[in-house]
Amino acid sequence: MRKKRWVPWVLVGPALLIIVLTTVYPLLAALYFSFHKYRLRSPPQFAIQWGEAGLHIDWSLLTLDNYALAFSDSRFINSLQVTFWFTVISVALSVVIGLGIAVIVQKGGRLHTLTKVLLIFPFAVSPALKGYSWRFMLNENYGIYDLLIDQLIVGPINAVLSIINALPFVEIPLLSESIVWLGDKFWALFMLAMSETWGWAPLIALMFVGALGSIDEQIFEAARIDGANRLQIFFRVTLPLLRPVILIVTMLKTIFSLKMFDQVVTMTGGGPVRATQTINYYIHQVGFVRGLDIGYASAMSYILVVLLTICAAAYVSLVLNRD
Amino acid sequence: MTTAATGNRSGFRQQSAKALETAALLLIIAFIVLPILWLAITAIKPQEKAYSTTLIFTPTLTNFEIIFSDTSVLINEGTDRERGEVGRNMIPNVFNSIIVSGATILIAIPLATLAAYAFSRFQFLGNGVLLIWILTTQFIPAIVVAIPFFTLFRNVVVFGKPLLGTQLGLIIVNMSIVLPYAIWMIKGFVDALPGEIEEAAFVDGCNDFQILFFISLPLIRPGVLVASVFAFIMSWNEFLFALIIGREMRTMQVALMTTSGARGIMWEQMAAAGLVVMVPIFFLAMFIRKNVVDGLTMGAVK
Repeated sequence: MRKKRWVPWVLVGPALLIIVLTTVYPLLAALYFSFHKYRLRSPPQFAIQWGEAGLHIDWSLLTLDNYALAFSDSRFINSLQVTFWFTVISVALSVVIGLGIAVIVQKGGRLHTLTKVLLIFPFAVSPALKGYSWRFMLNENYGIYDLLIDQLIVGPINAVLSIINALPFVEIPLLSESIVWLGDKFWALFMLAMSETWGWAPLIALMFVGALGSIDEQIFEAARIDGANRLQIFFRVTLPLLRPVILIVTMLKTIFSLKMFDQVVTMTGGGPVRATQTINYYIHQVGFVRGLDIGYASAMSYILVVLLTICAAAYVSLVLNRD
Repeated sequence: MTTAATGNRSGFRQQSAKALETAALLLIIAFIVLPILWLAITAIKPQEKAYSTTLIFTPTLTNFEIIFSDTSVLINEGTDRERGEVGRNMIPNVFNSIIVSGATILIAIPLATLAAYAFSRFQFLGNGVLLIWILTTQFIPAIVVAIPFFTLFRNVVVFGKPLLGTQLGLIIVNMSIVLPYAIWMIKGFVDALPGEIEEAAFVDGCNDFQILFFISLPLIRPGVLVASVFAFIMSWNEFLFALIIGREMRTMQVALMTTSGARGIMWEQMAAAGLVVMVPIFFLAMFIRKNVVDGLTMGAVK
């Protein structure tokens, strides 16, 4: 063949060098830091030293304290739990709502097409801005979401409840119209997940629209001729056919959710009382805001790396084994 | 008679299904558009109306004036209690964002294009594994990259000042997210290009580099453009690096945080700054609309 052996390396080399410097170097450095006592205010003595006698490793300077600390630190355990629940809620909502949107939008029609175009909108909104705009709209005094939730959801439910309560012996408590969304531990986490869902469900819908489009229309036609109704077609035909794509999308979204950071900063600030402190946010607090403890922050971020590696391996094997 | 009756009933069912579908579509549209619309509305509201859900107000550009001016701006002109607001002067922040994102793609895209071409067209030792490895670098949490570069850049002095808090520092760490991404995207476009043209050029006596620069590159230019837009959006919207590595050199994303004052966040100013952050990306996103799914999943969902 025409190809010379050295040519691809010349082409790949520069990019590869930069990727190694900006990803492998920090991965190794963070691992190294995580085994040291390393606070910004008191720079550490590193175990590997270059002395007059050449390379010298002082094993006594290495420590597992940072990892031990992580597993006894209630705040870190809390951040694991918060991240877990945030991931579960945001992934479930994004994938389910995304799938729902895709199935509805899929068919032809002018309104369908318009909606399909609009699906790209949230992609243009940066996560930081997303957090601020949701915080603003959820404000209990002047937020548009707060108003809409009270008028369109809480109001009607309470109306129904008070009719039921008019019956004798029944007393169901009415829903509160004055919930401070971001001041309540459950609602703050839920709304954080909702803001993420707002950004992702439409994009996931786009992914499903593409996947649905590639399914042969004759399969649906055959099911219809066999007398299947819409629900049966969805659960017995569409879902099984979409299974590989659903798995890939779920895994991808899980990876993104585990890394949640931006909106926590701009929407909830980790509060109320640490209820929305994700792993990334807590690491940032420890490393750069409060303790300035680089060693501990590195150790925790390595625990996050391990979590993500497991997910990434699952994702890559899903993608590779698809066909 | 009976057929007409069943015909009517199924017609009614069909109509109500259609009405339900239309309602669902309108709900989806509202769900998607409302936060963006509300931001746009708040950005042009006068300050005294921003802290309410009212839609009755006289549109004003005062909020933009405040965020882009470095002197105090008069608000409520002509009323008896004129109040001034100190300008926030976000012009440097806009430039920071443009310079960082622009330089990031100017460095990353040419390198990514060459690498993507090699991965697509050449068999070389370990190229498959290398490509998957590049994909997995995308799953490294940004905080792990940020910590060592933070400590490194505190001590590395370039042009007489530490890299921490400079545009150059942020551009360097941005490479870790943009470069692997761009390689995968552009590789997809090279893969889609039929190889016959290149073979023909080879038969005509072109060497590998002549083929790359004079035959293939012009053909994949649209794909490279799409990848550039993607890379630009990624670094424009990037927040964690901008916060930790960018520091006082604030990009617009971080500058959003500076709209808070003594009375908490000035929402009308945040909304105005938010529009400045969002609108350019909005147009870019429309431009790459067809490629967004491939871009987000690196072609995993097709």
